[in-house]
Amino acid sequence: MKRLFALVLTLALGLATSTPARAEGTLDKINQSGVLVIGTRTASPPFAFVNKNNEWVGFSIDLVEQGVLPSLSRKLGKPIKLEKKESTPPTRIPLLTSNAVDLIAGTMTDTRTRRDSVDFSITFFVTGAQFLVKRSSPIKGIESIAGKRVAAQQGSTNAKIIRERVPTAKLQEFPDQPAAFQALTQGQVDAYTNDGIQLYGLKAKAPKPDDWKVVGDFFSYEPYGMAMRKNDSDFRAAVNNGLMELIESGKYLELYDKWFGPKSETPYPLTPENKRFLIMQVVPK
Amino acid sequence: MSYQFNWSVLWSGQSGGWLLQGLLTTLELSALAWVLAAALGITSGAMRTVPWRPLRALATLYVEFFRNVPLLVWMFFWYFGVPPLLPMTIREWLFDHEAEFWAAMFALGVYHGARMAEVIRSGIQSIPRTQFEASVAMGLTTFQAYRLIIVPIALRLIVPPATNESLNLLKNSSVALTISVAELTFQTRQIETYTAKAIEALTAGTLIYLVLCVGIATVMARVERRFAIPGLIARGG
Repeated sequence: MKRLFALVLTLALGLATSTPARAEGTLDKINQSGVLVIGTRTASPPFAFVNKNNEWVGFSIDLVEQGVLPSLSRKLGKPIKLEKKESTPPTRIPLLTSNAVDLIAGTMTDTRTRRDSVDFSITFFVTGAQFLVKRSSPIKGIESIAGKRVAAQQGSTNAKIIRERVPTAKLQEFPDQPAAFQALTQGQVDAYTNDGIQLYGLKAKAPKPDDWKVVGDFFSYEPYGMAMRKNDSDFRAAVNNGLMELIESGKYLELYDKWFGPKSETPYPLTPENKRFLIMQVVPK
Repeated sequence: MSYQFNWSVLWSGQSGGWLLQGLLTTLELSALAWVLAAALGITSGAMRTVPWRPLRALATLYVEFFRNVPLLVWMFFWYFGVPPLLPMTIREWLFDHEAEFWAAMFALGVYHGARMAEVIRSGIQSIPRTQFEASVAMGLTTFQAYRLIIVPIALRLIVPPATNESLNLLKNSSVALTISVAELTFQTRQIETYTAKAIEALTAGTLIYLVLCVGIATVMARVERRFAIPGLIARGG
């Protein structure tokens, strides 16, 4: 028994304290495999989702394909292929740290807490939390949700803020967007909160978009970034360069127009402030 | 691996309180579901062995229908599928009174009841047929024979597989997070949200499940020894 205990203890301690010979950087890993593995969403239109033709597409995926991949190819001097894996808020950091994916490119908000565990690229999208409600709903924003049943996504920053700001709201957290939306449709909850742009995406994809409305001022600030393993500045520089080149060349705006322009399914005009903010992140060559 | 461990996230801030809350919800959910599963399991397990066909058919239908559909589907069924069938007022009342908890309770209880029924049935069928015949010869009705003789003996025989099934029920209660029940696994994810320390949070959750299950298994091993029927069960070692 004693020996068994000692063995378990050794294993546990070993697991907790060992830092195995620091594996080679992400760039070396990609150089060897020729593949960039990203973790992304499957039901977060228009950032990353499976569309009607069963293709896995979206704004975040386009940014990777047209910005990050070319930058990596240039850096490594050979073509790099893209592989997509599904990641959700609760799984994305473990997926990164376990080397299962190299980059999270979906709808992840850059926060200071998260920066303790992962590094972020420059901000590629700015939004804030709002509510999706039935057209006839009296809910107008965070000021009118006290005592109401509100759905949120597990592991999201929005749920955290609601819990802190309106403790009387009955918060119900679902693992994914479809379940939360189903609960809203059937009346289990009165409102669903998420980043405004995602709610517009959901509304546009709903069977009857006109039955729904997105309400309220932004009650949070959600700058989206791409996350990667900590302390890997070469890789981070390559990712950032890719994004900066997209913004600088105007290609970012084309992609923005494709997914958020007036003719897209989720029109979401780029405000002048946000545009300026994006451009100012681009440092000189 | 460039991950920096920080185990203190588990006892700093609100983490401890969340884990405790999650643990309580998990226990409450599992206990209620277990009572339902045991009641359904004993009834339908016994019904599957009675000498009257319609009853057997009814119990078989229940068992095969409920155990052959994944638990996740049942969670969604009880949470999303059942409320629309209820009158408006009851539905609103339910939604205001933790509908997700009750839906999860029914999903777990009814699903595991079907599995429990098979455990009970195997227990009953392991009892020599003569026991039943002797009880009837003594003047007991079939119902009395089951209530007084057959089921009590079967229950004493099936402690090990029933323990197994109960532990499964406890662990399966984590599926309830898909319909927003804030149980233990949900709370470990909550800690991850606040601290971005997923491995620590998951380890804490895993250890709690492990301690719970080992604890229950130990108690049940005692129960098994205490209630073993001398002569009916050969004990090894």
